[in-house]
Amino acid sequence: MSDWQERITFETAPAIRVEHELRYRIAAPLILAGDPWADLGCGNGLAAAAALGDSRPAHAVLVDIDQAVVARAASALELTDATAVTGDLTDPRDLQRIGDALVRYQGEPVVTCFEVVEHLSSFVELIEWAGMLAHDHGATFVISVPNDAFWSIQNPHHRSSWSEGAFEALRELLPPQRTLLRQVAVSGSAVVRWDSPPKLRQLSVQVGGTDAVATHFIAAFGPRHDDLQTAALANQTDATRQRRWERERESNLAIAQKVVVEQEATIADQRGDLRERIAQFDEWRTYIHELERELGRPLSGASAEDQPGAATEASSHTPSDSSPQAEPPA
Amino acid sequence: MKVAFLVNDLQLSGGVGVVVQHARRLNALGGWDITLVLVREEEGASWHGYDYLPDLRVLSRQEALSERFDVAIATWWETTFTLFELSAARHVYFVQSLEDRFYRHDEAGRLGAALTLDLPVTFITEASWIQQTLAGLRPDAPCYIVRNGIDKDVFPPLEHAPVNTTGPLRVLIEGSPSSWFKHVHDAIYAAAAMREPHHVTVICDDRQALGEVVADEIVGPLSHRAMAAAYEQSDVVLKLSSVEGMFGPPLEGFHRGTTCVVTPVTGHDEYVEHGWNGLLTDWDDLRGTARQLDLLARDRELLHFLRSNALETARAWPSWEQASQFMASALLAIAREPAPEFHAATARLLADLRGGIDIYDVQLRERAEFARRALRVERIVGRARANPVIRQLLRLRRFRIGRVVARALRPLSSRARRLLS
Repeated sequence: MSDWQERITFETAPAIRVEHELRYRIAAPLILAGDPWADLGCGNGLAAAAALGDSRPAHAVLVDIDQAVVARAASALELTDATAVTGDLTDPRDLQRIGDALVRYQGEPVVTCFEVVEHLSSFVELIEWAGMLAHDHGATFVISVPNDAFWSIQNPHHRSSWSEGAFEALRELLPPQRTLLRQVAVSGSAVVRWDSPPKLRQLSVQVGGTDAVATHFIAAFGPRHDDLQTAALANQTDATRQRRWERERESNLAIAQKVVVEQEATIADQRGDLRERIAQFDEWRTYIHELERELGRPLSGASAEDQPGAATEASSHTPSDSSPQAEPPA
Repeated sequence: MKVAFLVNDLQLSGGVGVVVQHARRLNALGGWDITLVLVREEEGASWHGYDYLPDLRVLSRQEALSERFDVAIATWWETTFTLFELSAARHVYFVQSLEDRFYRHDEAGRLGAALTLDLPVTFITEASWIQQTLAGLRPDAPCYIVRNGIDKDVFPPLEHAPVNTTGPLRVLIEGSPSSWFKHVHDAIYAAAAMREPHHVTVICDDRQALGEVVADEIVGPLSHRAMAAAYEQSDVVLKLSSVEGMFGPPLEGFHRGTTCVVTPVTGHDEYVEHGWNGLLTDWDDLRGTARQLDLLARDRELLHFLRSNALETARAWPSWEQASQFMASALLAIAREPAPEFHAATARLLADLRGGIDIYDVQLRERAEFARRALRVERIVGRARANPVIRQLLRLRRFRIGRVVARALRPLSSRARRLLS
């Protein structure tokens, strides 16, 4: 059973792949001109590979928390000189290691950090480190966060929530020389000749405006923040793949719901069994107590107050006669 | 990073609650040493209502004077009196509202609270309207915005907004009735003026100040968890405040599936969108507010639409953990940047002080004039009382006939009293 996941794979919904690829596309001129390039939270490297086309930066530092994923990214990107770093972006020591790997090249680093911040338990260290690297080593950063208000369900992988207000607070913490972008969703359609081969179409789409609802917020800072491009990207929807992606999730959801129903039925059965057994035990207890009464023995499992004669004895006790437990009848 | 938050007291309240949340969450981050400094001598460390306060370090003003901090933060205008007594590399003023608005025009606190905004500090605030106002008042002073988070443990967003199709509209009114700017009695009046079936719950901390009101249920003061439960049992939060900081309560309600009917009070624009996740009602329009509540009671599709969108808004709102990360980043930036230059602040402070002195001067002259008039009236009254005939007439009031005559002359005596005053 596939899982709700955040990494971009070949199975990722096409629309999500396009929006992820577009972020790398707008950063591509910076990546190719800068040296070295670091990709924080590089994932499988698929979107970066698609966005960079046939070009590659001279040196790269690929960073992710999962070692296997970094290796896959290095393979997907086919880089000639790549440093793989497995690290936690909330840990200052790991950030120091990444910084050391970057400044080793003595160039002007370009760092991309797309859809990572919301997964961190704390972004304080990352923002501090990024500000320091931009100031001291001329690094240019491009970061993005999603607009969670845009999604109607809570993403279980996100550790922080982002909206216009939260991004406003974030951008105030960035150096004053910065470029801010909104990423907006584009939808459309095309009409093609019945037998025509695939053909590149130039589209004219009006996008932007302050009232455009962003799906993601992007900020660049550092000496070359102004070089960040704007762009739009639309892909022909692979309806089969899209349908497959949706059906997979629908079937997963249906199975999960069924499992829940079955588990609820099991719980109901078990609750019934439990009730029956409790009733059975109560009957046994009553029977045993009857026998114990006949034998004049104290009632097993009963508190002192419930013992026969306890109430009458307690009422006849003087205040000085305060033995904690009633004596069993002779 | 050693940080001191200055507070007047640690009683359960919105403003102190925000400070305690930041202190608690910052303390949980590695490398942060947070102290709460009680600036009022008479206040002891009491943590009524705050489960987690014992984890925090609380010092008296006297104890804090012997320590050195990286950042000292005033959190209420009266705490600024102690701010510069503390030894700290940076002095910060966390402005949660323009606090002069809490006082009426004839209260001294109004000028005092306003003057503290002229201090040579770096500002941190929790709402964009405050940030914009401060930018206008103090363009020379840096100002960071750190919006309040929501305690997602106490107010976890519901998975779906509950559907209320048939029951009465459940209206929740929250606020301190003794604070004039909360307009709790107006809200109760508006809810009572509804025509559709409704159930009104009033949550207040001061029953005496609330007095006799028309409500189905009056509860409180409540803990935060009890508040969350109360929100969950409601459809709509009604708030008609005229002054708010970040305006937290409707947002807490959003997390538990309520929508809101609110005035366009400061702070509402942080998250309330008319017709999307709540309804805005006009100032002083209690009948109109009642009709909006009636609309929600009648149109259950609209009610559910607003509640669902309110829940969506709540999901995207940062938690306290995240809000305190913003606070941490802001404090690190403040510590890194040079301290704000004090010449502009001093000039501004003296200009405002001069304005205050001018107003005080006018008020003193008015007072002297009133005293002179009162003296004149007192002399006339004194002379009249000394007159034996009038004394005899006043004595007649002890008898029935005297009271009847006095009643008949009441319009005349009222007019005379009015003229004299």
